[in-house]
Amino acid sequence: MFALIDCNNFYAACERLFEPRLEGVPVGVLSNNDGCVIARSEKFKALDIPMGIPTHKIDPALRRRVVLKSSNYTLYGDLSARVQQVLARQVPTLEPYSIDECFLDLRGMQEDWHALGARLVRSVVREVGLPVSIGIAPTRTLAKLANKQAKAQPTRPQVCVWQSADAPDLTAHLNRLSPRDVWGVGERLNARLAGMGVLTAAALRETPDSELRRRFSVVLARTATELNGHPCLSMSDLETPRRSILCSRSFGRPLRDHAALAAALRHHCQRAGEKLRRDAMQASAIGVYLRTNPYHAGTFRHACEWTALPFPSADTQQLNRAAQRLLARLWQPAAYQKLGVMLTELTPRQQSQTTLFDGTDPARQEALMHAWDTIRARYGRQALTLGPQPVDASWQMNSAYRSACYTTRWDELPRARAR
Amino acid sequence: MSMTPIALAASTSAPTSSDTLPRGASGFPSPADDYREAPLDLHHHLVRRPASTFFMHLEGDDHHHAGLYHGDLLVVDRAISPRPGHWLVAAIDGELSVLHLERREAQLYLAPSRPDLATLPFEADDDRLWGVICYAIHALPAMGEEPAEPSCLR
Repeated sequence: MFALIDCNNFYAACERLFEPRLEGVPVGVLSNNDGCVIARSEKFKALDIPMGIPTHKIDPALRRRVVLKSSNYTLYGDLSARVQQVLARQVPTLEPYSIDECFLDLRGMQEDWHALGARLVRSVVREVGLPVSIGIAPTRTLAKLANKQAKAQPTRPQVCVWQSADAPDLTAHLNRLSPRDVWGVGERLNARLAGMGVLTAAALRETPDSELRRRFSVVLARTATELNGHPCLSMSDLETPRRSILCSRSFGRPLRDHAALAAALRHHCQRAGEKLRRDAMQASAIGVYLRTNPYHAGTFRHACEWTALPFPSADTQQLNRAAQRLLARLWQPAAYQKLGVMLTELTPRQQSQTTLFDGTDPARQEALMHAWDTIRARYGRQALTLGPQPVDASWQMNSAYRSACYTTRWDELPRARAR
Repeated sequence: MSMTPIALAASTSAPTSSDTLPRGASGFPSPADDYREAPLDLHHHLVRRPASTFFMHLEGDDHHHAGLYHGDLLVVDRAISPRPGHWLVAAIDGELSVLHLERREAQLYLAPSRPDLATLPFEADDDRLWGVICYAIHALPAMGEEPAEPSCLR
C-alpha cells in the first residue's frame, strides 16, 4: 500500500499557525515580488478571487475584506521539513513530492489502514499544527486519487482508503472520473483517448495493455496498470528530469546601474550553482536575460544572450565569470525590471581527473564548492557570497506583507502574551 | 516546485561538535582521547522533539509571581499532552497567549494571572491549545557582557 499525504492550503495554513487572528479570515499568499495570488485559504476561495490574479486587479471592495501575505518560503520550508519528520518516524519510507505533499511507501506494514491514516493525520495536526489529508491505496496513482477524495470529506480526519483496486467505491469513482484527472494524463492524451472512446478512468484501466503501448506509450500503459492496483511507477518515472535551470526575479524597483545588475547576477549564479550541485548535474551552456518593464513608458528592451561554457561545469565561479561577460555585452543604459540566468544542456556530473587546459584543478574546485555549500547551508546564505551583497539590496524581492521567519530567526520569534 | 533541501533537524539546532580531535603537536594521540565525551549540548537538552518544538518570547509581566517574566524565551512543545499545573500557549482572542492549566473539582480551566480576565473552561482536545511550555529561559543582568580581565577578586 501507498499513501499520499497533502497539507491543506499549505501556505495559508503556515501563516495562520503563528497568527491565530487569521482563523476564519480569507488569506491570500502572493508570488515572489507580490505580483499575484499563488495560494488561497478556504475562505479566500469562497470569495471567488481566482488563483493567479494580479494583486492590483483584486476588486478594492474585496481587497479590504481579505488579508494578503507575501510568500515566506523560509517559514514554509521549515514547517514542511517538520511535517516530514513527524511522518518519517511512523512509516518505513517517505518520499517528498513537493513542498506540501509526500508519498509514504507502506509496503511491509500490516495495519488497519483507516486507523493508520487517522493516526498520521492527527500526529501532524497536533505536533506541527497544520491540517493534512491522506489517501491510501495499492498504488501511488490510486493514492493520489484517494487523497483528492479525502480532501472533499467534510469531517476530520480526512482519510480515504481504497483497500484494493476492485473496491466498489473505487470502481464507482473511476466510472465518474475523466482520464485527464489521473496523474500523468494531460489534456493532449485525454483528447486522443476520447477519440478512441476512452472517456473515463475506468475505461482507461480496462483498455488492453498492448493497445496502450502500441498507440500511446509505455508510461500510459503503466498508469493503467497502476489504476488496476499493480504498482509499477517509481518516483523517477513521475518527475520530469531537469533539463534546465532558471534563476530570475523581478527587481523591487527598476535598476539602471551596471554594478547593481552585476550584484544581482552574482546572486542568481550562486543559486543556480547550488541547484546544479544539489542535483549532481553540470551545465554546458549559460544564458543571461535582461528586460525593462513592458508596462512602463519608454522603449521596451529585452535582451538575452547565451554562451557555451569552456567545459561542462557546476562551479559557481565559472558560471559567474561567463554570466558577467554576457551581462557586459548586453548592458545598455535603461531601467531594467528583471534579470535572469539560465543553465541548459545539463548532464550528470562527471569527475575529470586531469588538470584542465585553463590550469584549474577539478578536484580542488570540487572541494572548494563542497566547502562553499557546507558553509552556506550551516551559517546561512548571507554568510559567504561572491562579492558584497547588501541584505536590503533593491533588486531583492518586494515582500511588503511578509510574515516573520518565526522558526528560523532569533529576532523574529513569535510573541505569546501573558494573560 | 523545487526547494533547497532542508535538514530534518529543526533549523534552530546548534552546530554539532566534531567527533575527531586534533592531535597533539607530537603527532601522538592524547592519552585522554579514550575518556573524551561529547560536550554538553544545551539545545539537545532543551529540545527533545525538534519537529514539534517552537521558540517564543513571553510578552508582559503578569505571570512574574510564577517566575515568568517579560522577554523570557519559551520552549514550547506541541507533542506534550497538557495536564493540570502545566503552562500552556493557547490561541485566545486571536492571539498566542500564555495561561496556567488548573483543575477545580472535575473541570479543567485556563487560569489567567490578570485579575480582569475570566477563567476559561478547557476541554480535552481543545482547539485553542497551541502547545505546552517546557522551559522559560530568563536572562540575568550579565547577559551578553564581555568577560572581565582575569586578575582581581577571584
